[in-house]
Amino acid sequence: MVKNKNEKLQKQRLASKYKMGWFFMAPGFIIQAIFGWFPLVVVFVIAFQKFQVIGPSQFVGLSNFRIILDDPMTPIVFKNTLFYTVLSLALTFIIPIIVAIMLLEMSKATIRVMMILWFIPYSSMAGLILWKWFYNPFYGLFNGILVSLGLPTLRWLNDPHLAMLCLILPGLLMFAPGLIYIATLQSIPREYYEAAELEGAGFWQKIWSITLPRIRPIMAMMLILAVINNMQVFNQPMVMTAGGPANATRSVVMYIWELAFNSMYLGRGASLAILLFFLIMILVLLQRKYFKEDLDK
Amino acid sequence: MPLISEVGKRKLKVRLTLILITIFLWIGVIIHLFPVWWMFTTSIKPYTEVYQFPPTLWPRNPTFASYKLIFWLFKGGRGRLGFLCPIWVYIKNSFIISGGTVIIQVPITALVAYALSKLTSPRSSRILFLYFIGTMMIPISISLIPNYLIIRHFPFPTNRVPKIPFTSTPFPSINFLDTFWAVIIPSAYSAFSVLLFKGFFDTIPDEIINAARLDGASELTIFRRVILPLSRPTFAVVIYFAFTGAWNSFLWPITVLRDETKFPINVLMYKVERVVSTLSRETALTDENWREILQAGFGMNGVMMLAIIESIPVFIMFIILREELMKGIKLRGFK
Repeated sequence: MVKNKNEKLQKQRLASKYKMGWFFMAPGFIIQAIFGWFPLVVVFVIAFQKFQVIGPSQFVGLSNFRIILDDPMTPIVFKNTLFYTVLSLALTFIIPIIVAIMLLEMSKATIRVMMILWFIPYSSMAGLILWKWFYNPFYGLFNGILVSLGLPTLRWLNDPHLAMLCLILPGLLMFAPGLIYIATLQSIPREYYEAAELEGAGFWQKIWSITLPRIRPIMAMMLILAVINNMQVFNQPMVMTAGGPANATRSVVMYIWELAFNSMYLGRGASLAILLFFLIMILVLLQRKYFKEDLDK
Repeated sequence: MPLISEVGKRKLKVRLTLILITIFLWIGVIIHLFPVWWMFTTSIKPYTEVYQFPPTLWPRNPTFASYKLIFWLFKGGRGRLGFLCPIWVYIKNSFIISGGTVIIQVPITALVAYALSKLTSPRSSRILFLYFIGTMMIPISISLIPNYLIIRHFPFPTNRVPKIPFTSTPFPSINFLDTFWAVIIPSAYSAFSVLLFKGFFDTIPDEIINAARLDGASELTIFRRVILPLSRPTFAVVIYFAFTGAWNSFLWPITVLRDETKFPINVLMYKVERVVSTLSRETALTDENWREILQAGFGMNGVMMLAIIESIPVFIMFIILREELMKGIKLRGFK
């Protein structure tokens, strides 16, 4: 009898706990519903409509998709975006990890100083505009260096072959997510390394068998976020090249933005966004399949 | 320290690797800080020196002219650069947007993360987690157009507000375009912040909370009195990421803020840079207004000065919060 009563009380407590949980979640739940999930429905509705800002919109079936697929610009922007993503991951993904690992080899005092100096964040707009100034073919720093070394000058952002690489370099220096890696590395217990040492593990062995497995979940997460972010590159081409030269740097999101908000073809913009969405989803799924967060699972 | 043992430090090879690592890191620091130096020197160069080739590494005739000029150029009332407001209005706009985002986003995401971590039944927690974190995997660009429409007459993403059935009056709706709410409301919730909070809340042992419950504390009191003091570093991290995220956001503000008096500073900078860099010599010399501006010595030096102003808040946030940042990041991946 007493036991039964206790159980009932416990159940009541649990129920009230869960009710409080819903209460706590409510504001976030609503905003997430409106601005997180609802747009996913809306975008599919708009993509099948001839959507005008003024006047009625009408259902047009697949014609938006047909127009987008026939648009000579579409393959160009997808090619540019994929090229940007691959190049930028190759150049910028590993470096913060290496730096974070190396930084932790320093003495405590050095770490404190270097942390500030290495990871001080630049505001992205200031950084991009500064880099654009670096690349300036007439007054820029880079051509200045080339000239004082007696080398021929380059056209940097005005050269269709170089422009994409130029857009990536700022990311190398300015927006590195090293802070997150440092924090993760610091949370690895020291004992692991000491134990490995007793067993005679060397420098590389320790990295391979302790450090990397430990930061693997974070690496997997950062890789997914990096792919998603890089596939949606917008600021760099918008600020530094405005899509030029000869469309060599126009990205998908930039084209979506131009379609929707400059030409007011919201339906076409939405259908292009859906194509990008599926491409990114495929990349993310492939990644989750081949780059598992946990090796144990 | 963890990879190279203290004992081995006397060996020549080990010592050499350490020295190499140190040199590498310091070179990295110099390369990393060079842009700050370049921003600063460019901003204090006089006009003629800015447009000199090859550029000077050390300004020959440093002057703070561009700092004075910026106030002259943005005097307000259709100032000389063609912008309506004095410069401080744009700085204030940026602070309203970033501050508003922090004030609204941090409590909302903290409560969500706490509830996800401690107050959900095991049955519903997995699905709720997907609900709250799943959007992180969805590209922002797909919600760009829908969110613009939703903001235009909240909450109807149609191009006309639907009418209440059987009447000719439309449903009540709000137009958020060209207001700061248009930028703040969609970022009132952030999956990344929830992930940061949850990573920490998961490490708080349940016993502490249960003990407080037995003492008769309500859930809200527990959150305020027990959890909040424990999680100061995590709050610092989320505040930092929310603030810098909002400060740097560019795509969404240029989409929903078309009214020039509402621009944040980075959008203003984008527009000014565009004007300055595409200005050809001919228009500059024929246009009365521009001739005056150029004679006063405004060029890239002025833009760099704006860049410095824009970078300062982010720098300051980092310096103030850096100790907490180290302690507060407890991410565990998408789990």
